[in-house]
Amino acid sequence: MDLVRHLGYFLVVTEELHFGNAAARLGMAQPPLSQRIRRLEEELGVRLFERSSRRVALTEAGRLLVPEAREIVARVERMRDLMSDLARGDAAVVRAGVPADLGAAVLAALIAGFRDRRPDVRLSLTEMGTAAQVAALLEGRLDVGLLRHPVAANGLAYGPVLVRHPGVLLAEDDELTAWAAVHLGDLAGRDLVLFPRDAEPGLYDDTLTSCRRGGFVPTEIICTDRVEFSLGLVLSGTAVAFGAPAEVPGVVWRPLAGAPLAWRCSPAWRAEPGPYVRDFTTVAVEVLKQSAGMVDEGVPPAPRVTPRPATGFLA
Amino acid sequence: MSAGVHPGMSPGANPGMNPVERVFRSAGVTGWLHAVDIDGGREVGLRADEPVVLASVFKVPLLLELHRQAERGLLDLTERVGVPAADRTGGGTGLAAMLDDATLSLRDLAYLMMAVSDNTAADVLLARVGREAVNTLLDGLGLTATRVVQDCREMLTSLWVDAGVADQSAVTQACTDPEVVARLRALDPAWGNRSTPREMTRLLAAIWRDEAAGPASCAAIRRLMALQVWPHRLASGFPFDEVAVSGKTGTLPTLRNEVGVVEYPDGGRYAVAVFTRSLSTAQNQPRADAAIGAAARMAIDQLSTHI
Repeated sequence: MDLVRHLGYFLVVTEELHFGNAAARLGMAQPPLSQRIRRLEEELGVRLFERSSRRVALTEAGRLLVPEAREIVARVERMRDLMSDLARGDAAVVRAGVPADLGAAVLAALIAGFRDRRPDVRLSLTEMGTAAQVAALLEGRLDVGLLRHPVAANGLAYGPVLVRHPGVLLAEDDELTAWAAVHLGDLAGRDLVLFPRDAEPGLYDDTLTSCRRGGFVPTEIICTDRVEFSLGLVLSGTAVAFGAPAEVPGVVWRPLAGAPLAWRCSPAWRAEPGPYVRDFTTVAVEVLKQSAGMVDEGVPPAPRVTPRPATGFLA
Repeated sequence: MSAGVHPGMSPGANPGMNPVERVFRSAGVTGWLHAVDIDGGREVGLRADEPVVLASVFKVPLLLELHRQAERGLLDLTERVGVPAADRTGGGTGLAAMLDDATLSLRDLAYLMMAVSDNTAADVLLARVGREAVNTLLDGLGLTATRVVQDCREMLTSLWVDAGVADQSAVTQACTDPEVVARLRALDPAWGNRSTPREMTRLLAAIWRDEAAGPASCAAIRRLMALQVWPHRLASGFPFDEVAVSGKTGTLPTLRNEVGVVEYPDGGRYAVAVFTRSLSTAQNQPRADAAIGAAARMAIDQLSTHI
């Protein structure tokens, strides 16, 4: 039997939960569709649907099969697309997702680096947050992404973890610019402009946890993934932002003392890396180290609280 | 306004002034400071080689000599010493405030001397180790501008004698009078226990590098200096959980000192010695206390960016 095709029928039935509707959608009569589902059940040795006169429902085995079937069908489709592209003589493509705040210089270096390594392959970049990249990778709409940790997603594999320690961007008339290095606790009472939680759920929570631990509870958090908007708020003295130095007059960058924030990222792909993913990963890691100030992740220092008699419990 | 330390900069005011000096000025004090990176050797100073009055900071070299004598078997730190109620040196903390006879080990007396600047404990220990022994130790470390020539009782007695009052209880009141303060011998570095900011950071660096005594003794001294309870001076400049501050304060009328070591999570260790005198004779000056922390942070900030 053509297992992939039968899995396709199965998926349509799971979406409709009605043999008649599913058959109509597939442009076939109901009896042959029912027969093919039965054949699939025989092949797999399990019942996939509970059928009654009124309704069709997935069995436990059916439920387990759904994500597996989706993946197999999507990958076969992608394989066919890729082969037909090649057959038609179209250039091969690697579809990559990158974070919104990567910056023009890094982006340009990434494209140039990939072009040097694989002049025969077109690099198609999409700006996406981590949450969107995870979904796109799992659904096969992206071949590779640059995800920001922490991220929890089954079915993804990761390349090397790179880390950078953001500093703080301040208005030049902020009194904190007098310090060569600023502690998180110094920022207390200020507003923070940060990427949206929807886009970067893991890193957003992680960053705010570190802030609270360090004595900085922002009075207000303004979320944006637009770099210009974020710099505008800093420039006006409305808020402070975390990040790399910005070459903007009126905005001053200071390192955070003790590097309390660690922003990690790594290339990621679906369990089996697609074609050219390794090339993209190699180039991306190189570019992020050279142009974006990232380094291989070392052993992260454990946060420590040094005891002081005057602030000890029950003191 | 946020919590923590502020650089103390008023826009437009003497922009060219040394930032450490600016911190002292804005708190109404004259300051002497030396800060050094214990491992890297970089340093920052302000009048760092001028003689300063130690006040209770002299308890640091005393503590060191106590441990050195224990290393040589001259005394046993666990030996218990009676401190009768009738024979207490003045001061607002520790044994001076306690009403009954006490018996403590030498090392627990040392704890009280460092944690709450207990003057009675210090005098018991100084009597035990001897002033000459402390000065011989200081000579050996090359700290020849640092001298311990009197105990706490002598310092305090000079205050009420110079103030012209009958006893200790009247000193606090009398010393808010600028004319009285002007004639106090205790505020003259040439007269009493003295040092320079630079010699104090050298002493601290030697303790933190295990060079001032054996490693176990240096560790015991570091432990006691981390147990000091005061949050208002050096520690106030570093209101950060991950930063460790150890120190010893010193206080006399118009005079506020602290020497100590600030340790960052990246391993950076900085010895700082800050000595101040205020123009105001008021006894409660939180801004002057906090200026010690702010100046220390400013100095350490200049030494490293901790990244």
